[in-house]
Amino acid sequence: MSEQEKKDDQPIEPAERVRVVQEAAPGGEEEYRWHTGLNRPTGVPDAIEFIDVHKAFGRNKILKGLNLGLPEGKISMILGPSGTGKSVCIKHMVGLLYPDDGDVLVHGESVPNLRDEELFEMRKKFGVLFQDGALFGSMNLLDNVAFPLRQHTDRSEDEIMGIVNARLAEVGLTDAGDKMPNELSGGMRKRAGFARALVLDPDIVLFDEPDSGLDPVRTALLCELIQEIHQENGGAYTVITHDIMSARRVAEYIAVLWRGRIVEAGPAEELFNSDNDFVRQFLSGSAQGPLGME
Amino acid sequence: MARSAADRTIAPARDFFEQVGDMMILTGKTIISAVRPPFPYGGEFILQFLFALRLCWFPLLISTVAFGYGAPGLQAANFLVLFGALDRLGGFFVLASIREFAPLVTAIVLAGVAGTAITADLGARKIREELDALQVLGVDPVKNLVVPRFLALMLVTGLFDIYALLFGIFGGILATLVYHAPLGPFWATFFTNASVTDLWGSVLKCTCYGAIIAIVCCYKGMTASGGAAGVGRAVNQAVVISFLGIFAFNYVFTQTLLATHPEINVIR
Repeated sequence: MSEQEKKDDQPIEPAERVRVVQEAAPGGEEEYRWHTGLNRPTGVPDAIEFIDVHKAFGRNKILKGLNLGLPEGKISMILGPSGTGKSVCIKHMVGLLYPDDGDVLVHGESVPNLRDEELFEMRKKFGVLFQDGALFGSMNLLDNVAFPLRQHTDRSEDEIMGIVNARLAEVGLTDAGDKMPNELSGGMRKRAGFARALVLDPDIVLFDEPDSGLDPVRTALLCELIQEIHQENGGAYTVITHDIMSARRVAEYIAVLWRGRIVEAGPAEELFNSDNDFVRQFLSGSAQGPLGME
Repeated sequence: MARSAADRTIAPARDFFEQVGDMMILTGKTIISAVRPPFPYGGEFILQFLFALRLCWFPLLISTVAFGYGAPGLQAANFLVLFGALDRLGGFFVLASIREFAPLVTAIVLAGVAGTAITADLGARKIREELDALQVLGVDPVKNLVVPRFLALMLVTGLFDIYALLFGIFGGILATLVYHAPLGPFWATFFTNASVTDLWGSVLKCTCYGAIIAIVCCYKGMTASGGAAGVGRAVNQAVVISFLGIFAFNYVFTQTLLATHPEINVIR
């Protein structure tokens, strides 16, 4: 038996598995010439792993062999141009979409292989901020934020209202509790969605473009808030964005996604100093480089 | 080129059968969710029941009277009067109104009024990602949204069937009166031909129509995509598929009922 075959027979730790697949994944195709697949080590295990994930909608292939690990206890950012499959990634993490091929692991559990009841149980680990807040149109803000607490805890109504008001105060919506979602601006809906996502102190929080539709000051404040709450509660936070300023402010770990695969991933400071032309262009927001309008 | 032509033909057919399969799966999940505890859908069930009742009672009243008066009423009376057999109109109304038109008109009105409202509501929630948010918050949308609509629509169509056949028969009475005929013979032939089987068959069939409408409309709403235009498309498809499902089910149900209850084949 050769040295390589012996190595293949060894059981692979989940965090390592991603890196091993990544080494083999990028082929020599022209469109992936910037995809080194380099995953710089963070020294912590991964909370979420994508293993050679493929996903297509009809003929439109979105994820084409995605290998990605999002480290535990850090604020990770998935960056990439529009339409590269960032939101699709989030939906795979919470089991709203299933991969056509490959696997998605959350704390080592394979999401596509969970039964419905297990999936609903697993989702309690998550808080998700959707792009437009995804507030329930039939409930006012207080009820929206209280909804997860009423569903999943036995707390008294007074306790629930105490927590809800505190969360709303954190996002600057103290006086808007009685308003319905259609009476709020896009930014307010987003902040309310943020409060709802965090109300159960989840282990993993996913933010789908938290900065879109917000003014620069509110974006900065929201980024600060993400950092503060992460420092308080810990957990694996994943932010999806294409806003480089937000990435510079809060990211501890960055993965750059393009054409359904990771170009490069690693600790933020290392990625900002990457010598990969695509990563350098994207993280500097420059017009010059491999990424064009196509 | 041959492949692309084949793709154009096969892809829509495959898509259609996939959707039918998905609806079957949704039906199974809904029935299991309805009977398996917990039962958090009581409030939503009452709301949906009252919603359908409020939306449909008046359109159904107009439709059944007008349809009963026009189609089986005037048309059949015009034919029967040739043979001097206008008294047979009552018996014909058992066949026409109780067995077929009352359930069918109820289903058409329910699908058009309540079914479309359900698809539009769920479709809008899907587009706004509310359904995704609900699932991520650990709430099963089948149990909390589909089950109450499924049960409410079944109950309301069953009850509306009786309402529809009463007003349908009223249309027949109007037609008889228009022909200046007495109502006694109408009622005599009506009650000679009517049987309990006709009544429960009609109510059961209409209740199943309600189930078909609920599943199709919930499915199309929950799978809507492509913004506001996508919701419009979903509503349109929901109505078309509901009607196809209803007509197909009507064929199977009628054949089965006639085969298993041959006594109702006899015209008295």
